[in-house]
Amino acid sequence: MKWLELLTVGGATLVSAVTVVVLYSLGVRLTAIAGDSEQASPGIKRALAYACFGLCGLAVLFGLYLIIPYFSA
Amino acid sequence: MVALVIALALFFDFTNGFHDTANAMATPIATGAIKPKTAVTLAAILNLVGAFLSTEVAKTVSGGIINEGADGVQITPEIIFAGLMGAILWNMITWLKGLPSSSSHALFGGLIGAAIAGIGFNSINLASLAQKVILPAIFAPLIAGIVAYTCTRLAYALTSRHDPETGSKLTQKRGGFRTGQIFTSSLVALAHGTNDAQKTMGIITLVLISAGTQAPGTGPQFWVIAACALAIAIGTYSGGWRIIRTMGSGLTEVKPAQGFAAETSTASAILASSHLGFALSTTQVASGSVIGSGLGRRGTSVRWSMVGKIALGWLFTLPAAGIVGALTALLVKTGIVGVLIAAVAGIGAVLYMFLHSRKSEVGHHNAVEVEEAGQAVRFAKKKALAEARARARARVRDRARNRAGAAAAPAAENPAAPETPAAENPAGATPEINGTDGTAPFKETQR
Repeated sequence: MKWLELLTVGGATLVSAVTVVVLYSLGVRLTAIAGDSEQASPGIKRALAYACFGLCGLAVLFGLYLIIPYFSA
Repeated sequence: MVALVIALALFFDFTNGFHDTANAMATPIATGAIKPKTAVTLAAILNLVGAFLSTEVAKTVSGGIINEGADGVQITPEIIFAGLMGAILWNMITWLKGLPSSSSHALFGGLIGAAIAGIGFNSINLASLAQKVILPAIFAPLIAGIVAYTCTRLAYALTSRHDPETGSKLTQKRGGFRTGQIFTSSLVALAHGTNDAQKTMGIITLVLISAGTQAPGTGPQFWVIAACALAIAIGTYSGGWRIIRTMGSGLTEVKPAQGFAAETSTASAILASSHLGFALSTTQVASGSVIGSGLGRRGTSVRWSMVGKIALGWLFTLPAAGIVGALTALLVKTGIVGVLIAAVAGIGAVLYMFLHSRKSEVGHHNAVEVEEAGQAVRFAKKKALAEARARARARVRDRARNRAGAAAAPAAENPAAPETPAAENPAGATPEINGTDGTAPFKETQR
């Protein structure tokens, strides 16, 4: 029985999914903050939100880079 | 015989495609992130791309469950023919019932049955069977469920906003998760393409090698890759709407943030498992994610009766496909007439099920009821409406939380527990034992 592999798969799944979800959720939250009417600096918040979305996209792309054999060969 | 097996393998690839569209596209369709037709088109294209992307083919079709090789038994095209027949028929039956079930398990089941009937019981490696099929079937939904549960809780915790003074809800823009869903579901479709098209490529290559038209130890030829990629893409495009309905609205109600979390977990689990050496079934991972995310969002309920039905379907996948595979193998053994009878009977059964399905058609128009499909990238127009809704929802939610908090907390402590007994024990999988069905009191709570 390959318990170690099972553990690795579970761990990798948890880490990668949480990374993506946390980054995207922060982006959503910052977008909502930037949309508030009494918000003093919506520009900065919006930029931060886009930065979060960008990081999230990069995380996904990095994951794809890791798994597509074409790149690792 | 070789041509027949290749045709059958491609048809299996097709059923695999339309069976598994739901894994990637059920949740975005359910939340209205993508229009149904667009969703299946996107999934089809990504499956096509995915099939070409990775040619890391499984070296043995059966994954070591059948003792292949020099000291074991020789897998003949006849065995593969019988195995495929079992897999295809089981895929059609579960599709008719709208049950998401693993296509690879159906294939394993068919091959096992065919090998037992055609060669003998000693051709089966039981230890390998437990490790490659039975244990993953328990752990795949468990891992995906726990991860999806965690992610859903995180997504809601991070986006929940209160006014520090009055304590009332502020706008949360959770609709923004719809845009993200487009990408995460695409990732699932891509992962499916890299995974499942490979199996058929492996089968056809094996048949070609055993027929002596291809040198042993070589990879799949280009036309094999192209044909498999096309077959799975066409299958995906034709869309298994019945299964999409089950996954999208049968298990639990799906909201954008929840769908995003579920899809991310599915994609991570499939990609991690297929590249770290512990293969998990796409379908089982996706079902586990949807259930886990349903448990993670407060004020929602998981329809355990449907979960029980699906678990029962998984239990039957291996033996049912195995029996069909075994019967076909016995027929094929009798010679060319038997092969013909098996082929005609198989085609007849598939046709019958297809015609039967026309009686209660489920298509892209009625698979999942969504109020606002395909609005994900057009928020500006809906802004005023969304704000009004957010205010209304905030009020409802406050009340709902008080009501649901008490009920959801005990269920939340142990997200996947009801899953394990259902998978291990046939008797435990009956819907009645799992209690709450679709009529749970706080099911209608708006979020």
